[in-house]
Amino acid sequence: MTYSRRDFLKGASVAAGAMALPSWVLETEAKEAAAIDKHALTDLALKQAKKAGASYADIRINRYRNESISTREQQVQNVSRSQSFGMGIRVLLKGSWGFAASYAVSAESARKVVEQAVQIARANAAFQRKPIRLVDTPKVNGSWKSSFEQDPFEVSTDKKVEFLLGVNEAALKPSGASFVNSSVRFQNEQKFFASTDGSRFEQYIIRSLPAFTVTAVNRSAGDFQTRSNLSGPKTIGYEYLEKYPWSKEAGQAGEEAVAKLKAKPVLPGKYDLLLHPSHLWLTIHESVGHSTELDRALWWEADLAGTSFLTPDKTGKLQFGSRLCNFYADRTQPHGLATVRWDDEGVPAQRWALVKDGVFVDWQTTRDLAPLIGRKSSYGCLHADSWGSVSFPRMPNVSLEPASREVSLEELASSIDNGILIYGNGSWSIDQQRYNFQFGGQTFWEIKNGKVGEMLRDVAYQSRTTDFWGACDGLGGPATYELNGAANDGKGEPPQSNAVSHGCPVTRFRRINVLNTAVRKG
Amino acid sequence: MLISEREAKSVCDTLLRCIKADDAEVLVSSEDFSNLRFAANDFTTNGWREEVSVTVTVWIDKRRGSATASSLERESLQAAVDQAEELARISPVDIEYLPSLGPQSYRDTGGYAEATAHLSVAERAKAIDAIIRECEKQNVVGAGYHRTNATAEAFATKHGNFYHRISTEAALSVTARTRDGGSSGFFLRNHFDIRKLDTARIGHEALRKALEGRNPRALEPGIYPVILEPQAAGDLLRFTFDARMADEGRSPYSAPNGKSKLGEQIFDERINVYSDPWHPELPGSAAAPEGIPATKVYFVRIGVLENLHYSRFWANRQGKEPTPGPVNSILESSAPAINLEEMIRSTPRGLLLSRFWYIRMVDPRTALLTGLTRDGVWFIENGKVQYPVSNLRFNQSLLELLAPGNVEQIGASERISASESYGPGAALVPAIKVKAFHFTSQSEAV
Repeated sequence: MTYSRRDFLKGASVAAGAMALPSWVLETEAKEAAAIDKHALTDLALKQAKKAGASYADIRINRYRNESISTREQQVQNVSRSQSFGMGIRVLLKGSWGFAASYAVSAESARKVVEQAVQIARANAAFQRKPIRLVDTPKVNGSWKSSFEQDPFEVSTDKKVEFLLGVNEAALKPSGASFVNSSVRFQNEQKFFASTDGSRFEQYIIRSLPAFTVTAVNRSAGDFQTRSNLSGPKTIGYEYLEKYPWSKEAGQAGEEAVAKLKAKPVLPGKYDLLLHPSHLWLTIHESVGHSTELDRALWWEADLAGTSFLTPDKTGKLQFGSRLCNFYADRTQPHGLATVRWDDEGVPAQRWALVKDGVFVDWQTTRDLAPLIGRKSSYGCLHADSWGSVSFPRMPNVSLEPASREVSLEELASSIDNGILIYGNGSWSIDQQRYNFQFGGQTFWEIKNGKVGEMLRDVAYQSRTTDFWGACDGLGGPATYELNGAANDGKGEPPQSNAVSHGCPVTRFRRINVLNTAVRKG
Repeated sequence: MLISEREAKSVCDTLLRCIKADDAEVLVSSEDFSNLRFAANDFTTNGWREEVSVTVTVWIDKRRGSATASSLERESLQAAVDQAEELARISPVDIEYLPSLGPQSYRDTGGYAEATAHLSVAERAKAIDAIIRECEKQNVVGAGYHRTNATAEAFATKHGNFYHRISTEAALSVTARTRDGGSSGFFLRNHFDIRKLDTARIGHEALRKALEGRNPRALEPGIYPVILEPQAAGDLLRFTFDARMADEGRSPYSAPNGKSKLGEQIFDERINVYSDPWHPELPGSAAAPEGIPATKVYFVRIGVLENLHYSRFWANRQGKEPTPGPVNSILESSAPAINLEEMIRSTPRGLLLSRFWYIRMVDPRTALLTGLTRDGVWFIENGKVQYPVSNLRFNQSLLELLAPGNVEQIGASERISASESYGPGAALVPAIKVKAFHFTSQSEAV
């Protein structure tokens, strides 16, 4: 049995009465949350923490809403909504951290949670070698909403289903496109924060995350290829689904998945690469974003994420890339996934240079990391992915500046004799100090004598971070600049998820090592 | 405090009473979680968390809706039911709908230890301090992560099924780095019973590897015989035996002309891959995916692909029985185990690998993975470990790795956590020696 988009729309019109706006999520719980006097709870918890001897304490009372719809071909696989509400309390006592959290948000629970956090901090303080210190930050108060036109939680489910089935229909139109999976997720974070420094604020963040993958199968040969969406998640409202040409891209994806089955295998060797922003954002994330995290450089993440090839003594000295490379960290960037007004310890969002004219110049910092390199203030990079997770350093949006004048993709390609143009993200892998990496993509196009030509397949490139950015010799102009990103960047123990964006123009690199992944030769 | 079976049953009954839909499944879970991190030879962050989760899935005229809440209050349960039913009413027909299961019989599998559930934070701090002291004594820099969790999970269906399980897990990883950053060692183990987590051994092994790994030599990438320690094998060998993907022609287990490789010899004939809920070292859930009572299931037996995982829907579509697993992952040799020392002794030339990092799928057709070695690579010549080697990137197909003719020796299986993910998902995996492993570039990372 199949269920067509037309059937769905027909069904939808019959059931129109039931299809008004969904009475969003678990409103009973929302009322409960609203009924809680966060300020009274905060006063109680922070007072108790101070009485127990904490030199600093903060409380986060957060509500997270998620909506998820997933489909394949012309059927809906899942429509679900979830919410999570709770509080987390962090204390700094005798130079040791203690953190505890509970789903139960009440005065009684707050007393228990503070006690637990204090107990952990005391147990550890007995063995703490170097007490944790925090840099000062101004007291802040207020509220903030991320930028969106249409709150997706107020858009009807049937409209979202229709959107996805439309994407699927377009993706399967090309002859040979076999399967398509598509989904859309919406996230809403309602975050309350207060600290013993006197800061107290609320933030309301909306993110939209559409995604699809088309698969083309050659059954007789036992071969298959996929093509996933190029444009990624953003801190934006439902308007993203209406303004970006998703169906057009899905149709193109279907054609390209089929074409990949017959594309020319790449010959391994050195190539000039022209990397589209839909691809390059992830290379920036892995090689620039993670290497400039100060906690890694100080070996705080040595046990899992790793350290960094950058060390504090290299600040302002190390040649990170060519003179064209200017990378900025920016938690104020419109639609950036890591964009906020304040971080999770009350430090205002900022924009600062990490790499200037190719030289590594600065770090991502938090209040407890900054003093370790002699800084007097934090750049505001503390984040927790839930009320139940301890906040720790996470990446801000990190972006590559475009050329100051307009330079097109074609203009950049015109000086390439033997190269490859890459769109989208395939597989990615980088070592624990962010030197050696290997990246694939979604589609690969041969560049011969300055012209973009036929499709290639089985392409991945390997390089070393400073060699790679040192080989950057051409930036696209502002018109080629795009912001992409990931909503699920993992780091930490226990692992936490962070949403982060990276903007860049189309960018050219000279003589990068390319391998053919099908024949497995480097 | 975990919810007891009686409380869980009561919550499930309350939910099912509230539900007016034709069919329903409800899932109730609670978790107590505690962790401590250390780095740069000092305590860093930590956390304790209690949480509950309630998920209600309903079908009305075969239309499906699902809602999840984080409270056990009566009003919240009703709100979750209302939300799920509202979503079901406005959703299209779920063409994969099958009626929820009626009463099933589940045999207890164990996997819970009071000592893990009731960890003393003072004792934990003392154990971590002892590891840091040892690092200080040896002039290396230690980092690590200790975690314990206790979980209660229950589900029930409108057709009368009910299941409840409590389980625990404790884990400790330690990374030791020499002060010059030139060498790093790592060791990780986990167990459901914290009394079987040997923290001193974990610290000692990480330190030993860091000290023995000093002054590594660079090695040209290429094809080498390798010995994968259990951690390295456990990092790499994670299988998804999905029948639908194979039948649809988009899996390494797909064969030409719309067929799968079921019944074919895909691995060396000594290799068995199976799921066993009652394994004493690795107890799994008594309920397989979709609530089917779990049994021991071989996916690969003597190297032959014996089973793929059929969901209830796909089994029904293909005229098969749904698969009562996997609930855990065990890779075991049919031949007598060869210990690591013997593997080294019998190697004329090759590499000993401790662990892998940043493993990603490059080509799903051949299960070709890329990633890097980490925290300990040694060059073996004439049956002896000669010197440490710098890290290397690999591009290696799992099918080729375990193929007949490539596997030389297999050790005894040990309980391992994949070192990159740390989450639940412990597996029993042995050390394995293979003839050919493909390295494609060097990495100076430590």
